[in-house]
Amino acid sequence: MADNLPDDLRQIDPQQAWQAAPPEIWNWKWACHLYRRASFGTSSVILRQAVQEGLHATLDRLIGKSPQAMRWAQLMEDTGRAFASKGDEDSLRAWWHYFMLQSGDPVREKLTLFWHNHFATSIAKVGRADLMLGQNLMQRRQAFGQFGQLLRAISRDPAMLIWLDSNQNVKSQPNENYGREMLELFSLGVGNYTEADVRETARAFTGWNSDSHGDQFEFHPEQHDSGPKTVLGQKGNWDGDDLIRIVLEQPACALFLVRKLYRFYVSETDPPPTLLQPLAEQFHKSKYEVAPLLRTILSSRLFFSQHAYRQRIKSPVELVLGMVLANLPGPVPPGAFVDALDAMGQALFAPPNVRGWTGGRNWLNHATILARHNFADSVAMGKLPIADGVPVKSVVVARKVAGELGVPAAIEIPVEPAPAFDCVTYLRNEKPLSPTEIVERLSENLLDGEIAPAAKARLVAFVAEGKPQDKALDNRIRETVHAIMCMPEYQLA
Amino acid sequence: MINRREFLARSSLLAFGAAVPQFFAKTAHAIEPGKDTILVVLEMAGGNDGLNTVIPYADDLYYRNRPTLRLSKKEVLKIDDQLGLHPSMTGMHKMLQDRQLAIVQAVGYPNPERSHFEAMDTWQLADPKRERKDGWLARATPLIQDAKGSVPALHLGGNRTSLPLALNGAGGGVISVNKDQPFQLNLTGLEDRQKARRKLLDDLVKGPLEAGNATDFVRRRQVQAYTSMDKLKEILKPEEVDSRPGSSDKENDIQTKLAMIGKLISAGWASRIYYVSFAGFDTHSAQAADHSNLLARLSSAIEGFFKEIYVSGPAERVLLLTFSEFGRRVKENGSQGTDHGAASCQFVAGPAVAAGLVGKHPRLDDLDFGDLKYHTDFRQVYATLLDQWLRCDSAAVLGAKYEHLPLLAKKG
Repeated sequence: MADNLPDDLRQIDPQQAWQAAPPEIWNWKWACHLYRRASFGTSSVILRQAVQEGLHATLDRLIGKSPQAMRWAQLMEDTGRAFASKGDEDSLRAWWHYFMLQSGDPVREKLTLFWHNHFATSIAKVGRADLMLGQNLMQRRQAFGQFGQLLRAISRDPAMLIWLDSNQNVKSQPNENYGREMLELFSLGVGNYTEADVRETARAFTGWNSDSHGDQFEFHPEQHDSGPKTVLGQKGNWDGDDLIRIVLEQPACALFLVRKLYRFYVSETDPPPTLLQPLAEQFHKSKYEVAPLLRTILSSRLFFSQHAYRQRIKSPVELVLGMVLANLPGPVPPGAFVDALDAMGQALFAPPNVRGWTGGRNWLNHATILARHNFADSVAMGKLPIADGVPVKSVVVARKVAGELGVPAAIEIPVEPAPAFDCVTYLRNEKPLSPTEIVERLSENLLDGEIAPAAKARLVAFVAEGKPQDKALDNRIRETVHAIMCMPEYQLA
Repeated sequence: MINRREFLARSSLLAFGAAVPQFFAKTAHAIEPGKDTILVVLEMAGGNDGLNTVIPYADDLYYRNRPTLRLSKKEVLKIDDQLGLHPSMTGMHKMLQDRQLAIVQAVGYPNPERSHFEAMDTWQLADPKRERKDGWLARATPLIQDAKGSVPALHLGGNRTSLPLALNGAGGGVISVNKDQPFQLNLTGLEDRQKARRKLLDDLVKGPLEAGNATDFVRRRQVQAYTSMDKLKEILKPEEVDSRPGSSDKENDIQTKLAMIGKLISAGWASRIYYVSFAGFDTHSAQAADHSNLLARLSSAIEGFFKEIYVSGPAERVLLLTFSEFGRRVKENGSQGTDHGAASCQFVAGPAVAAGLVGKHPRLDDLDFGDLKYHTDFRQVYATLLDQWLRCDSAAVLGAKYEHLPLLAKKG
């Protein structure tokens, strides 16, 4: 059942846009859409469950406080330290990719990815995997909380202190790098502050340095300019925390963040300025509580409408994980995607600069498109390594790594393993299916069932050609999976 | 190296098979002034010592400042009674005599940077303040994009992530060809299955190509990617594919890179900007032999490049521009080398140039803290080539108008 929002985005009443979508709209397509946006997608087994449960029950489960959440967080922390202690960035990436896939809290992982890009910091300059890990763990802990907490934490984050030269920001010679980016990229956005504000912000953060080893935040009062400052019209002997408070008071801050979250979760088409007002006001009033904002967005009429459906281009991480979640018979080892994601332009922990990955249409060029299609081939044709064939309980990874490194093993968590799903097994387990049925099932799993008749007909002809049986049919199914994952529609989230 | 007949045959529409996208039409067409002109940008990375490239051999100050590095009147390749080219540059000297080389002198910008990163960024962004994030060539690509939708710029070399800053922000407007980038579509299976699968992919991507909505945009990029891939595979022989340049020294062979570009141009590849890098110019110590070697390779590669494309046809619509992030200091250092400097020379090569010296040599008796002073802003060089050669609006690319230089013999 379709929503009756106007076709033209500019005609939509902003109040109506963010009202809760009526539960009756819930169906297979919208379940796929929600999982893809809120997390990285999932298998058809989980989707079938979700359709049964209904929209609100699914949202409750996705954004609710998972009883295991704290233990997941601890597990990630322990294993993260093990991987980071190797010192190289690829190990760190392997760790995070693995948990994005296996985590019991994928919505939190997706939101952490958002903050990862928002506070874009690169290991290329920071040079320390342990500090990059620390930043990542902090962002995960604070992901759903108050944005102010995140801002306070990131201003003290040891990786960030190196990245934006906070250690060079001292009273005698303020360094404006952190102050500028804090205003421009992290909170207000260009046009909502002046150069004078940048200078005064830098002064407020003087003395916010690292300790002598660079391991943690250390306030150096003798380096701090405690004199009077005027920022955004407010006068006082401000320090960094005061700056953050002043910045959060600006409605522009709420709007800036809402706009970025909209782009990440809803659509890459620029919204008319008024459309985001209700969200910005809600966010500002709530003192920047992220969880309720996300809940509003992900349950809204606009989210479940044509204005959001397939209106984003999948980032490499979304593409790769989505392919794997939809297709693989078992968990993959950490490190399985590092090269592919690098080829597609998204090496985590190493954004091109402090603005992060531009994303959207910028993900696609000659080389990255070939990389995407080639990865699809390795997934579809069964060429990705599978870990042991045994559904991996999270602890197996930790113990193995811990053993290798001689560090204490992580705690054990009994975890429901991700249901195994292999396209060939799935289709061949049932009674023999016709080419049409095969294509229908595959497009249901991979394209939400939303496929143009001409494309469907072409795929059916491909499957049927030469009437393949047994192994040849298995192969044909795999080839069809690949072709679908190369379709333009599949590149869209 | 292909002859004209092969070149025409290869460019035929039929070479692409049945599902031919309308925008990759025949490439063997008459030269359209301003529409088909090509600029090859050659980065000399490290800071080339301009003073020992275009040499003021008659200037006593040159002798006194370069006790071990100086080259004499007898050694240099004469340009006039004041200046000569480094003795290694026989190929480019011949091009000068053949009226195919322009030498722009004393090029720089105000408050020059002496750090590699900052200086290189300045040249690549065309922004001494380095506030811009996108490169000058990237900004030009939408303005020179032809209606047929071919990829406007091609970068040869580097590795997976090293698109030069000059091309940063060109989005789908640039292809990078190097050994780290995927060169082809992997379709696991035997040949008959590969063919069937490729046909399926081509059929599934058919549809409108206007970049209006997200789906059409993706479709367009995909068609571009596949067609470029096909064309490249057609032009480059398998051993050339295997020897695609990378970023290691062994793979830094400028001669091979320019030869590959020549081949692409001759085969009708429709990019109008090519970018290639030649590293090694940061000669802080024992400069003499290294610099000589580099200039020999540079000169030979450029001469060879134009010779090749002259035979296969389109030489008159190709210009090659060299640039480096800075020159080097006038006084040599204590290690028979030179340190980072400021103003230096640039070369513009090709049949269409107004050959000879452009501007006077910087004075050795009027230095800026030991460095040569510039009189020609590098953005003038860019503006001249953007407006007069590539026929796009230089002000739109550079953010302001810059006075042109007499680089071209006739409007290209």
